[in-house]
Amino acid sequence: MKNWIQVFSVIDLVSVGILLTAIAMNGMKRLESCVKAYAVNSWLLSALIAIVAFMIGEFHLYIASLVTFLSKGIVIPIFLRKVVREMKVTHEIEPYISNALSLTISGILVAIVYASLKEGIFVTGLSRNVLQISLAVILIGLFAMITRRKAITQVIGLLFMENGLFLAGFSLTYGMPMIIELGVLFDMLMGVIILGIFAVQIRRAFASSDLDKLTILKG
Amino acid sequence: MEYLQFLIIIILSPLVNGIIKKLKANMQGRVGPGILQPYFDLTRLFKKDMVVSHVTSWVSRLTPYIVFSSTVAATMVVPVVSNNVAFSTIADLIAIVYILGLGRFFMALGGLDAGTAFGGEGSSREVTVAVLVEPMMMLALFTPAISAGSTNLLKVSGQEVALYTPSHLLAFSAFLVAIIAETGRIPVDNPDTHLELTMIHEGMLLEYSGRYLALMEWAHYIKQMLLFTLAVDIFFPAGITSSGDPLSIVISTGIYLLKVLFMAFLMAIIESTRAKMRFFQLPSLLGGAFVLALLSLLSYVMMGR
Repeated sequence: MKNWIQVFSVIDLVSVGILLTAIAMNGMKRLESCVKAYAVNSWLLSALIAIVAFMIGEFHLYIASLVTFLSKGIVIPIFLRKVVREMKVTHEIEPYISNALSLTISGILVAIVYASLKEGIFVTGLSRNVLQISLAVILIGLFAMITRRKAITQVIGLLFMENGLFLAGFSLTYGMPMIIELGVLFDMLMGVIILGIFAVQIRRAFASSDLDKLTILKG
Repeated sequence: MEYLQFLIIIILSPLVNGIIKKLKANMQGRVGPGILQPYFDLTRLFKKDMVVSHVTSWVSRLTPYIVFSSTVAATMVVPVVSNNVAFSTIADLIAIVYILGLGRFFMALGGLDAGTAFGGEGSSREVTVAVLVEPMMMLALFTPAISAGSTNLLKVSGQEVALYTPSHLLAFSAFLVAIIAETGRIPVDNPDTHLELTMIHEGMLLEYSGRYLALMEWAHYIKQMLLFTLAVDIFFPAGITSSGDPLSIVISTGIYLLKVLFMAFLMAIIESTRAKMRFFQLPSLLGGAFVLALLSLLSYVMMGR
């Protein structure tokens, strides 16, 4: 089994899948598809942790994988979908730049990450490519936060960044102590809930979830 | 003997189109025409008289022959069942793409030549799509070319490629989009309808009839099967024989036909489950495929697999 994982480069495939879902999020117009992309991204993340746990035989990584799956893969997507339905905004209307352009730019971001990590940092073993991919996911999440108008897509961008950070930490340390991971997850769950409520409130106060409208608060 | 392998593509290509049509009809709960229907269509068209508009120039009369012969020339350099190809020295990936490009150029000219509105529309759309598809297709082909160390198709198909590495998987999915766009299938173009305002490929053929139309249609079938063959040669090369004895050729022919059937099945599934896109949304689909191809190249260069 371990041989098969090595031969079929399963770890590379799963991590490329994580990268692809992050890029696909940039090409999507419907908010619910963005949430779906995030859910798939989290499933792949937890699958990656489970595979690495199997490869190096660490028991507490299985728990990390399970907790990741439950919180990021199930609870947060369901909550986000509820928020999207409640706001009655199904489409991202006019993002600042077109979807084709943001796809291209995220491709360029990946190229920049690959090129800048080519030499200098030496990471070997399982995580040789995972580190590059995690940094690319962080940048793509940040890019989505910069270029989107809707409050909810900014939350999704933040969540993608968090997934990337988690992956980066995981690829360098093979899992932080359990208590830290739990703390981070709990923080994020709270953050998402607060941001979700916030988005709904913005929608109520301004009759739109467009963040540009917030500038009319200026005196 | 193996030098005649390109005849397989030329003879069987209408059959492949018939199979795709039949599969699609079955998936959509219709009976559909028999799988031999494209042959009947072609023979009927070859028998019919031609009507050539008197305002057309020599371009219209030359175009069907150029389109047909350039497509056939491209099939001659592709390994189908055996690695012994007649023109192995020019079996170059870039050459194949641009030999097909020659045919497309003349097809677009032929669409413009008669001066009808639909022909011009079809030509301008075809060229717009081609501009977007060509770089993406080349990038998708460069990944296997780099891993083989050569753009010669025989070297690319002769290597022990692992399809399951991330870079090849990404390149294959980008190439699949390229095939869909090149063969005019849903979501890019609808192959089943004439006289719709959305047509691309059919628009250019509107002024042709009889033998000319038969040649153009046949060239289109050949091009479709040629692209399937390229895909299976490059991305699942297992089964291509390099020895000349009859038994191994028969076996590899069987494997080849299975692989082409698989591609046809894939096309039928994609066509039945997708809706046609609006023309102005195409850049977003093709741009997405371009990013896939770019990522595939990047991850090959950086990851080494």
